[in-house]
Amino acid sequence: MFALYKKELQSFFFSPFAYVLASLFMFIFSVSFVTAIADVSSNTLRFTFSNIFYNNFFYFIFIIPILTMRSFADERRGGTEVLLFSSPLSVPKIVLAKFLSIVTVYFFMMLTTFFFPLYAVLTGGQVMWSSLACAYLGFFLWGLVCIAVGMLLSSLTGNAIIAAIIGEIIMEGLLFLDTFAGSKLVAAYPRLNSIVTWFSMQRRFIFFSEGMFRLEDLVFFLTLTAVVLCWNIISIEKRRWSHS
Amino acid sequence: MVEIKNLTKHYGRNAAVKGISFEIRDNEILGFLGPNGAGKSTTMNIIAGYLPSTSGSVTVCGHDITEDAIEAKKCIGYLPEIPPVYPDMRVEEYLKFCAGIKGVARADVMPQVERAMERLRITDMRRRLIRNLSKGYKQRVGFAQALLGSPKVLILDEPTVGLDPAQVSEVRQLILDLKKDHSIIFSSHILAEVSAVCERVVIINKGEILAEDTIAHLEESMTASTLLNMTLDGERDQIIRLLKDVEGVKDVRDVKEIAAGRWTLAAELENERVRDEIMQVLIANKVGIVEMSMAKLSLEQVFLKVTEQAGKRRSSLQDLLDETPDTPANPYDAE
Repeated sequence: MFALYKKELQSFFFSPFAYVLASLFMFIFSVSFVTAIADVSSNTLRFTFSNIFYNNFFYFIFIIPILTMRSFADERRGGTEVLLFSSPLSVPKIVLAKFLSIVTVYFFMMLTTFFFPLYAVLTGGQVMWSSLACAYLGFFLWGLVCIAVGMLLSSLTGNAIIAAIIGEIIMEGLLFLDTFAGSKLVAAYPRLNSIVTWFSMQRRFIFFSEGMFRLEDLVFFLTLTAVVLCWNIISIEKRRWSHS
Repeated sequence: MVEIKNLTKHYGRNAAVKGISFEIRDNEILGFLGPNGAGKSTTMNIIAGYLPSTSGSVTVCGHDITEDAIEAKKCIGYLPEIPPVYPDMRVEEYLKFCAGIKGVARADVMPQVERAMERLRITDMRRRLIRNLSKGYKQRVGFAQALLGSPKVLILDEPTVGLDPAQVSEVRQLILDLKKDHSIIFSSHILAEVSAVCERVVIINKGEILAEDTIAHLEESMTASTLLNMTLDGERDQIIRLLKDVEGVKDVRDVKEIAAGRWTLAAELENERVRDEIMQVLIANKVGIVEMSMAKLSLEQVFLKVTEQAGKRRSSLQDLLDETPDTPANPYDAE
């Protein structure tokens, strides 16, 4: 399994792929950073990184399908799927190895954004580390769910571009769900409201970004990731059995 | 070593493989022969554990491929029809990766990769990107991959496709060398190739086994029939009657008029000696002999005969050849 993980990582880092995406991410982050500073109106320069994260997510959510689009679609198209499935690796291990490698790349991208709080400290600012750590954790957990969803889509189609586009649509849908949860219509029906807000990831992220660490949210993100990964395993197995 | 029992595979409503059974014995090279679309690749994919079967079982080294998949797959080296290579990787890097996913112990990885590269003569290419290799080299890299992990069973799906003639004979030699330590199943749609390396063949068409026999028998069947191609001047009916009356002529076919009163035809003889008698008969009856030449029934013709008569399983190829001349579906019959 480690061999597959290593190979996947190499395919990201031995090509411009990871770096281009990381630089895009950093660029978006820096734009938000600069805007946040420019927006400061009081005499004390105060803004929260959590807000930057929050603003970023709208862009970031579109980067993830690009990160995950090749994971299974390319194997299928290149005929290398045969190699994996006829090797002594089980399907769950294959899915997990691929997932972990993408998570590693994601982690690397998040690491690059650490430049901004660091820069703030070095130029004489004060950073609330506890709040920042929480925001990073929330950001990371949200990303895990998106990666799992992106991988699932990649395993459903043999075309990486289609996987990416459908991924964008789903991510858009998730954002819409959040907006929908906040609408007056939903608020009018308490039951519907409780269901929709329960699934709203953005709302959960807000707790994190405010420096609040709730076990409930941690469990939510982790179980959702696990469920989507299991779905991925099942869908691959199913396709093999009904291969046509 | 490998036992295939009543293997069936449906793709939706289409049955690609219909209840085939055969076995691969220890240290033998089994040829798996059939025209394109016969179900060869499907069968091999199932044996290798890539596709599950609809019904039936495959047992590799005593492990069932669906129930004990991990252990069974450890015994298998598989070269699919399209070599499963990553274009962005270098040859050595790719082979190390393959050794890794096959669970080769870390200390063994490099020696095994070196050995596989030497065997396939790709050591010079170790630093090249697979993307930049020619089809033949990609094929060899795929083959090298199958050897990693020293599997007991090798499944080779058309390993010589895309290679030049020199490479083809190299690969054949390699397969013969590998026989010492491996049981090999080798698919092809070219009979000459199978007869060059295999001891036993399974012929498959439309998902069914048509014949299962040794190469020795196959060759015997081939030499058992001799074709005499003739160009004669005379009357069609008279010529056919005269030829059929000669003892030892099994069949007269492919009768075609190429010019007024000039016919080409082929006669299938029991042995070469019949030829003299035919000449005497023809001369005695004043049939003009323009041309006469001997031809052995080629492997390709045997193959076509077998594959074009689906639905009936023969115990040997000899039976099959004996019954073919009377079948109108045969393309070599008179039109």
